Amino acid sequence: MTFTKLYDTAASAVADVHDGSTLLIGGASRDSEPTALLAALLSNGAASLTIVCDFYGWDGGESILKLAAAGRIARLISPDPYVGATGDNLRAAWDLGDVSIETVPRAAMAERLRAAGAGIGGVFVAADSGLRFADGRETRIINDVECVLEPPLRADFALVRAARADTLGNLAYHGAQRSWNAVMATAARITIAQADTIGEPGAIDPELVITPGIYVNRVVPAPLIEKQG
Amino acid sequence: MPPVKLTAQAMARRAAAAISPGDVAAVDVGLPALLPDIVPPELGAWFLHNSGMLSNVPLSQTDAAAVIRGGYVNLAVVSAAQVDAGGSFAGRRSPGSAVDLAAGADLVIALLPHTDAVGASNIVSALSSPPDGQRCVNTIITDAAVIGVADGGLTLAELAPGWTVDDVRSITAADFSISPTLREMDFTPSDGAPPSKIYPDGPSALADLPNGATVFIDGFGGPGGMAHYLLISLRDRGSRDLTIVSNTAGIARVVSFGTPPGRTAIDHSVLIENGQVAKAIASFPVSPSVSRPSEFELAYRRGEVDLELVPQGTLAERLRAGGAGIHAFYTPTGAGTLIAEGKETRAIDGRSYVLEYGLRADFAIIRAHKADPNGNLVYRGTSRNFNAVMAPSARVTVAEVNEIVAPGQLDPEEIVTPGVFVQRIVQRPPGFTGYE
Repeated sequence: MTFTKLYDTAASAVADVHDGSTLLIGGASRDSEPTALLAALLSNGAASLTIVCDFYGWDGGESILKLAAAGRIARLISPDPYVGATGDNLRAAWDLGDVSIETVPRAAMAERLRAAGAGIGGVFVAADSGLRFADGRETRIINDVECVLEPPLRADFALVRAARADTLGNLAYHGAQRSWNAVMATAARITIAQADTIGEPGAIDPELVITPGIYVNRVVPAPLIEKQG
Repeated sequence: MPPVKLTAQAMARRAAAAISPGDVAAVDVGLPALLPDIVPPELGAWFLHNSGMLSNVPLSQTDAAAVIRGGYVNLAVVSAAQVDAGGSFAGRRSPGSAVDLAAGADLVIALLPHTDAVGASNIVSALSSPPDGQRCVNTIITDAAVIGVADGGLTLAELAPGWTVDDVRSITAADFSISPTLREMDFTPSDGAPPSKIYPDGPSALADLPNGATVFIDGFGGPGGMAHYLLISLRDRGSRDLTIVSNTAGIARVVSFGTPPGRTAIDHSVLIENGQVAKAIASFPVSPSVSRPSEFELAYRRGEVDLELVPQGTLAERLRAGGAGIHAFYTPTGAGTLIAEGKETRAIDGRSYVLEYGLRADFAIIRAHKADPNGNLVYRGTSRNFNAVMAPSARVTVAEVNEIVAPGQLDPEEIVTPGVFVQRIVQRPPGFTGYE
């Protein structure tokens, strides 16, 4: 039997997402969110989730909203949590006290995820906006600039989407799919990728591989899921 | 009754007119997102979107963060609900985008309607919610006026067609002075094109590399990935007292992987034996063979050069930090070893970490496979390794490439280094090899 990270269904790939899990969910625009994995997560039933994501519409936003409406999100970490219809409804949930929301400047979120993925214990970045987002964190003057120590943002799972994968988990993206999916794939204990197509090792030109397979634990073909409805 | 206000499209056109040739503009969601379709393509401007798209080049959010925090954004156009007389802005429901854009840009434009849905002024003396950006807005563009922000407060600079000073005053809840050059809004876009990044040869691309400069240079054990032509050009230029930052300090010559008989691999040694190097910051400064010491080793033994030894992964992180506006970071690498001597260490989650600082340089001389005239780079094989991480961290990055292709000829998915990180491009002369 050859080594493979291939899972037949999104449901089996997310089966061990459990109550209290922290999930990174990739995507930054239409067709860049892991819609099949999100649909499976909706059916999985795990609650008290911490969700880290940066999208606010389209199919992925709908799924986040359904999770929130079902009371399964305890905490949301996002640069833009209140944008669009999803944001209105999240805000309503937040106002009811069901969801705790942490707004993180986008670049800081990227660096915190990257630090988690690269084994960095924390990064000092310039303090934005008069420390409004420093949130009691350590500050220090470096190079005459007031800096905040941003801690790594680690997760139990990352749900990501790629255009192409191979059975070793190497991923190639299309357009804005790269945006969050690439960094999130590095930052979770278990990274689960859905891809439009999945090939044998060697199917992807190495120069086009953005996420090396070592970061990816499971790959799921997305078209198969759609056929299953 | 005040005159008719500008449409959203017209507001965006006025903001678009602020973009100069070659500018890197970060555009927030909302009205600013209209700009990329308005600005004439001939201007060669770049647009960074919240999605991570840099014009047509897809970036990861970590690279987008480097564009913003690394100081590459000339102009940020932010959506705001309110701007105060000190140039602070607020009121977006989700501040996580604008905060970054405003913090990283040379020039910040706030693009917003002059009044809100119930007619209250959005230009205020005090914000009604916490600021998303403090004292950072330089120019306010509304559907009625253009207002400059300086230390002294607000200055009315332009009026929308048909508007008077009194009209603007009647809908503005902050004091402003009137510019002596007050005029009607001009929607004319800039013209011209950015200066070409393509230099005719190596010497012209390095003509202003000064004595005492810090220079990033790629280079592993073999000749791959190194800008050999630029190394020779730098030798010919003769700049002295250089600090070179590199994985090796020149061991391709002594390792001689694949070197044709009777020839010598070009590496950092050409600068060292020419007396140009004062210091190396490197991971592998010495030859793997005791019997074949590198030029750097010989110079070090003679006391002619200094050395700062940096673990390879830490070197990569320090380079990336320098380009991404990360001033310092904690890494577990080197904790408890000589590497950590004299450095701050701290326990985080039960593990020992060392504080390391970002590295920046005056010049990077890097090597890529192909470039387009915008500076977008495609690598081949291991030539990606340090070249890609060095490009954002130098003030002037000069790329030596095998081929310069026409705009649009590179597959955006294959671009590893976006052109905003590359200031100069030099074609490696045909037939030039990595050997002397």
